[in-house]
Amino acid sequence: MGAHGNPVDHSTNATMNIYIYVLRRLLLVIPVLLGLSLITFSISRLVPGDPVGLAAGPQSTPEIRERMAAEFGLDRPIPEQYINYMAGVLQLDFGRSLYTKRDVNIELQARIPATLELTLAAIIFASTIGIPLGIVSSLHQNKPPDHVSRLLTLFFVSFPSFWLAMIFQSALGVYWDITPVAGRFPRLALPPQRVTGLLSIDSLLAGDLTAFFSTLHHIALPAFVLSLGALASITRITRASMLEALNNESVRTERSIGIPWALIVMKYVLRNAFTATFTIISLEFGWLMAGAVLVEAIFGWPGLGGYIVDASLNNDFQPIMGVTLVYGVIFSTVNIITDICYGLIDPRIRFG
Amino acid sequence: MNDSLLEIRDLHLEFHTFEGVAKVLAGVNLQLRRGEFLGLVGETGCGKSMTALAIPRLIPIPPGRITRGEVIFEGKDLLQLNDKGIESFRARELGYVFQDPVTNLNPMFSIREQLIDAVVYQSDANGRKPAGQRRRPASSRQKRRDAFQRSIELLHMVGIPDADRRIHDYPHQFSGGMRQRVLIAMALAGEPKLLIADEPTTALDVTIQAQILRLIQELGRKMGLSVLLITHNLGVVAKICDRVAVMYSGRVIETAPVRDLFNQPLHPYTQGLLKALPHAQSERGGLEGIPGHIPDLISPPAGCRFHPRCAHVMDHCREVVPPVSRKTAEHHVFCHLFDETEEYGHAR
Repeated sequence: MGAHGNPVDHSTNATMNIYIYVLRRLLLVIPVLLGLSLITFSISRLVPGDPVGLAAGPQSTPEIRERMAAEFGLDRPIPEQYINYMAGVLQLDFGRSLYTKRDVNIELQARIPATLELTLAAIIFASTIGIPLGIVSSLHQNKPPDHVSRLLTLFFVSFPSFWLAMIFQSALGVYWDITPVAGRFPRLALPPQRVTGLLSIDSLLAGDLTAFFSTLHHIALPAFVLSLGALASITRITRASMLEALNNESVRTERSIGIPWALIVMKYVLRNAFTATFTIISLEFGWLMAGAVLVEAIFGWPGLGGYIVDASLNNDFQPIMGVTLVYGVIFSTVNIITDICYGLIDPRIRFG
Repeated sequence: MNDSLLEIRDLHLEFHTFEGVAKVLAGVNLQLRRGEFLGLVGETGCGKSMTALAIPRLIPIPPGRITRGEVIFEGKDLLQLNDKGIESFRARELGYVFQDPVTNLNPMFSIREQLIDAVVYQSDANGRKPAGQRRRPASSRQKRRDAFQRSIELLHMVGIPDADRRIHDYPHQFSGGMRQRVLIAMALAGEPKLLIADEPTTALDVTIQAQILRLIQELGRKMGLSVLLITHNLGVVAKICDRVAVMYSGRVIETAPVRDLFNQPLHPYTQGLLKALPHAQSERGGLEGIPGHIPDLISPPAGCRFHPRCAHVMDHCREVVPPVSRKTAEHHVFCHLFDETEEYGHAR
C-alpha cells in the first residue's frame, strides 16, 4: 500500500471517452439539420400563395413575374431548387430576399448577434436568480421562503411577456426614465469595432467601458422581461429536482457519516439535481429565442425576430429559410453543449 | 451496567400521517454493551429500522416526532444534543450500513471522492489525523491527499481487490456486494465505537450475503465495535450475534443471549417466530405461521400489542402494558405470563 497506483492511465481513458462522446453528439447534428432544411423548404414551397406576385407588385405583367421567377431560380423543379439552395447554404449563401432584394447573409450577420446577446443575457439572468431561488425553496419546503418563491414564480409564468414588456417599458422607460425605451445602443454613439457582434463583449475587447455600460443599460430591461418565464421554470424545476435529490437514500448515508449538512447540499445533492436544471435551461434557451420575437418588437431590438415577422407577412421564403436554419443551428449547438454537460455531470452517461 | 455503550430508554416515536398519528415506537428499551453484537429482529414494520435511525437522529422530523424517551450514549442523551453535536457524534462514534448498496452511494461521484470526504470529516471530528500522518496543521489539499492514502487502505481492509486502481471508479462500475463493501469502508473510516447495520445483506445475492456478514463479523471483532445488527433472518443472528432483542409492533418484547433465546424462548411471539423457522430436519408439513396480522399502528391494541394474536391471552393483557420480567439476569421478557416468576424485582 502507500504506492500511488496508476491514476494517470485511468484519467487518460476517461478523457478519451469524453472525446468519443462529444464526437458522437456532433455527428448526430448533421441529419437533424438536413431534416430541418428539408421540412422548412418543403413547407415554404408548398404553402399556398404567390411570393413572386407579392414581391413584384399588383401592377406587374406576367412577363415581369416570369423574369423574376427565372432570376431567383423558381422556374426549376422543386428538388433542383432544393439542391441549388443547399449548395448555396454550404457556402454560407442564404440567397436573396424576393421582397427587399437584400442578401439574407447581410441581414443575418447583423441580426444574429443581437438576438443571441438578448437571449443569452436573459438565460444568464434567469439561471443566476432561478437556481439559488430553487435551492432555497427546496431547503425550506412549505415554509415562508418557499411560499414567497412559489408565489413569485407563479406570477412570472402567468403574465404574458409582451404585456409585462409594455408595462415595464412605460414605467421604467417613460415614466421614471431610468432605462432606454428602445434600441440596442445609443443612436448617435459609435458602436465598438465588431469582433463577435455581441456589443457587450466587443466593447470590453475595445476597452470602452462607457460603451459597455451603455450596452448593459439598453439590454437590461428587455432581457429582464424576456427572462421571467424562464426564471420561473428554472426555479420550479430546480426546486423539484432538489427535493427529489434530498430524498435520495445516499443523502442519509452521507449524514450518517457526519459530513456537514451544507457540504452535502452544495456538493452531493446539487449535483444530483443539476441534470434536470440543465435540461430546462437548454430548452428555455430555445423557447426564449422564439419568445424574443415579441419582446424584440416592443423594444425595437434589431434582431432575428423582427426580420422573420416581416418576411412571413410577405411570404418571403428566403429569409424565413435562413432564419429557421440559424435557429436550428443555435438550438442544436445548445443541445450539444447540454449533452456534453450531462456527460460531465453524470459519469453513468459518460462511460455508458 | 457500566459496560453499557448505548442505552435506549422508553423511546416513543410517532409519525403524523393523513390517516392519523402512527405510534411507531411505543416504549423501546434496549441496551448495547461494549464490544458485543446485538441482533435486533422482528417482522417488517415492527420498528427495527426506526429504532436504529432514531439513535443518530436520522428520522425525518416533520412527519416524525419523538414524544418521550432517552438515547444514552456513553452517559450523554443524544436526543438533547444540538445539530452540531449530533453531527459530530455521527462522524466520530457511529458507522451506519444501510440495506441497499445501490441507492446508498451517490452515483455522480467516484468512490474516491466519497471515501475521501468520509475520511476527512470523520478524522476532523476525531481531532486525529488519518493514521500515521504528519503533525503540522495540514492544508486542505494535504489533508485530502492523506485521506486518499487512507481510503485505499480502507478499501483493502474491506477486501476490494486492486483497490488503488478501483478507487477511481464510479459506483455503477461496482457490483452490489462490492458497493456494500465500499459503504462498510465509509462507515468504518473514522474508527467508530458503534456500528449499526440495517439489513446489510437483504439486497444482495445469497452467496454474497455470507461474505458481507463474515466481513462485518471480522472487522467488528478486530476493531472492538459494538454492533447493532438489524435483520429478520434468525439464522444470521444465531451465527454472528451475542445477544438478541425481539421487537413486536414498536416494542422490544424479549432480550436474551442468543443461545437462551433459541433454547428457551419465553414470549409467545418469540415462540411463534422460532416455530415459523424452516428446519432442514423437520418432516414435511410445511411452515407454521403466527395467526393474525401485524397490528395497525394508528389504533394499536391497548395493553400488550400482541394480545389479539396470543394463545395465552389473559384479561389484564388487554389493558396493561406488560413490564419487564427478568427470567435470569440476562434473559428479559415483557409478558404478563411471567409476572409471578419475577425474582429480581422491577427495574425502575
